Amino acid sequence: MTALTDILHLLITANLWQATLAAAVLLLLPALGGVISERSGVVNIAMEGMMLTGAFFGVVADLAWHNPWLATGVAILAGGLMALVHGVVSIRFRADQIVSGIAINIFAAGLTVFLVNRIYGIQDVGHASQNELLPNFNIPGLDQIPFLGQVLFQQNVVVYAALILLVGVHIVLFRTRLGLRIRAVGEHPQAADTAGINVYLIRYGAVITSGLLSGLAGAFLAIGVSNTFVPNMTDGRGYIALAAMIFGKWTPFGAFVACMIFGLGQAIYDNNSIIHVSPYLLSMLPYILTLVVLAGLVGRSSPPAADGIPYVPGTE
Amino acid sequence: MAQGTGAMVARPRPPGLPSGPTTIARRVVGGLAMPLGSVVFAFVVGGLIVAVTGGNPFSAYAGLICGGFGIGCTQGENPALQISNTIVFLTPLIATGVAVALPFRAGLFNIGAEGQLLAGSMACTAIGIKFSTLPTPVLLPMVLVGGMVAGALWAGVAGVLKATVGAHEVVTTIMMNYVAQWLLRYLIIGGPLQLAAGTSKSLPIGPGARLATLLPSDNSLIVFGLPASVYRVHTGLFIALVAVAVFAFLLWRTTLGYEIRAVGQSQRAARYAGVSVRRTIIVTMLIAGAFSGLAGAVQIAGVDHNLTDKYFSDTTGFDAIAVALLGLGSAVGIVLAALLFGALHAGGSVMQSDAGISSNLVLVLQALILFSIAANFLGAMRSLIPGLRRPPGAPPPGNPAAALMTEAAAPPPEGTPSK
Repeated sequence: MTALTDILHLLITANLWQATLAAAVLLLLPALGGVISERSGVVNIAMEGMMLTGAFFGVVADLAWHNPWLATGVAILAGGLMALVHGVVSIRFRADQIVSGIAINIFAAGLTVFLVNRIYGIQDVGHASQNELLPNFNIPGLDQIPFLGQVLFQQNVVVYAALILLVGVHIVLFRTRLGLRIRAVGEHPQAADTAGINVYLIRYGAVITSGLLSGLAGAFLAIGVSNTFVPNMTDGRGYIALAAMIFGKWTPFGAFVACMIFGLGQAIYDNNSIIHVSPYLLSMLPYILTLVVLAGLVGRSSPPAADGIPYVPGTE
Repeated sequence: MAQGTGAMVARPRPPGLPSGPTTIARRVVGGLAMPLGSVVFAFVVGGLIVAVTGGNPFSAYAGLICGGFGIGCTQGENPALQISNTIVFLTPLIATGVAVALPFRAGLFNIGAEGQLLAGSMACTAIGIKFSTLPTPVLLPMVLVGGMVAGALWAGVAGVLKATVGAHEVVTTIMMNYVAQWLLRYLIIGGPLQLAAGTSKSLPIGPGARLATLLPSDNSLIVFGLPASVYRVHTGLFIALVAVAVFAFLLWRTTLGYEIRAVGQSQRAARYAGVSVRRTIIVTMLIAGAFSGLAGAVQIAGVDHNLTDKYFSDTTGFDAIAVALLGLGSAVGIVLAALLFGALHAGGSVMQSDAGISSNLVLVLQALILFSIAANFLGAMRSLIPGLRRPPGAPPPGNPAAALMTEAAAPPPEGTPSK
């Protein structure tokens, strides 16, 4: 009983929901990337590696130039470059996209630590000081609204950016000609090709966009939430983002809802001194919930028809 | 085959059908060329990465070779110990490699070997602690079978979800990996298997649950200049070799193996031939999980004797994907690929201490091998060389990774759930 009342008490604090939204955004950015990539027909399980690469190069740039904005740009580009590799291997060479994704994740894990060793000589990278981090920003006026003000309008700049991107991705995917093309290429590339759409161009664009978004998430993680790089610091977030994408049935807002649920779990985990459940058991929840969704207990969740199938012109 | 001479239309020969000894010889050479080419590609690109970042790739690779095979050591490493370490590393790679290769044959991609291995380790440890007083003839089979059952159940979840609702096994096995990861943390940090408060390791398993090492753990016995107890090679090596033999027998000499291959070739054709696709998918995943679980149990029983935080960052089940692909899904290939990756793991630490190159270069090399196999860079390069270019009308060259798992991305097996 006490555990239950403790959780209820926790649930009505604005602090918890503020932390939930921040944790959710960390998952939302790569999840949005995954939605775009898979809607265009390229399976992407490499968000983990792209995010980790972004985190590493963001920290390197920040420590070198002492400018978080420049560093974020570098992180976004680094994520995009990793995605370009995934794109070339899976679109140009028609590789198995799952193998390529695994390779990206292993490559990122190995390369980042290898480079830490080459650049800094030791395992410790060093820490960015407070004014070198992506800042929190309170939106004047709105942040004074009781409860909601703290949750929604006293956040890191990346959180606002992510919420704008969420709406933007939704509009582009479902309300524009470009979005129609992306979805057409992911559902039936042969038909899209016949209609004059450049299948490869759309797929490259979508995959690279997923890397840019994952790179931004990496920057938020390394020089927003944290202030340094530690090996494997993404700690499976890219895979939870993958789960969120599936949970949300390959839609931006669906993924957002899933990210909020998983983010809430993370926020409760961080407050684990209050509740009396093992935080480790709690951490299983995103994965088990996703399995439940996949089992069809909460409606069917199926990917775009041509997801994961390389496009070979002239085949049916 | 004449290509388009005059009006004669040559009937294209079905790809992959050998017609004569030269074709067979070419296929053998071609079969070896792909894995070897991938390894060479990885080492060349890896060397460039080392050189670009100011390191010496030759001293890095010298360290790897010394650490992996005990050859050419300059800093006084003991070659016998290095080889022993390589064998310890390759043992779990063989069984998990099989656990990835078998589902490949059925067109299933098991990314969950890691989770299944952890499930096996956890079950082995739990049984080995609970019944720690039992003698070896009883307890050892118990922990090994317990590990296999746990691994099979872990993979079975993915198999059942694939066979009934068509949930993609890649996603479900990834999720099960993380469930296993967190369950492991729970069990040994604050959970029922924890050694003592404040530690992140489990109690040790009973003496009866342990696999014997090849050499007696006797400090007075000196072998190759070192006490016998430092060589950790254990009888689990033979279990792994039996596992890979069972895999080959199962695949090529049993009805089930035929059904697995039939489902992998074409689910529709298999169904017409009277094979139950659903049953085959579930059974394949159960067997694969049992192999992984066995690897995890053997690792506890043979090497570690308890669960530690080392298992949080274990990557055996992911290395196994590279082992299965590089070994082209064959028994001999898996053993050879496991040897390579075992040597890379053992060599990484020597490379780090001798040449000052981070052992994480091994991960980079592994990823490059995967890229190369998946993208068939070798085949692409061959098509750039005029003499080897395939005739214009011929079908595009098969992608080895894709050929191993033809219908992995196929929709759910039997349309709507029956019953």
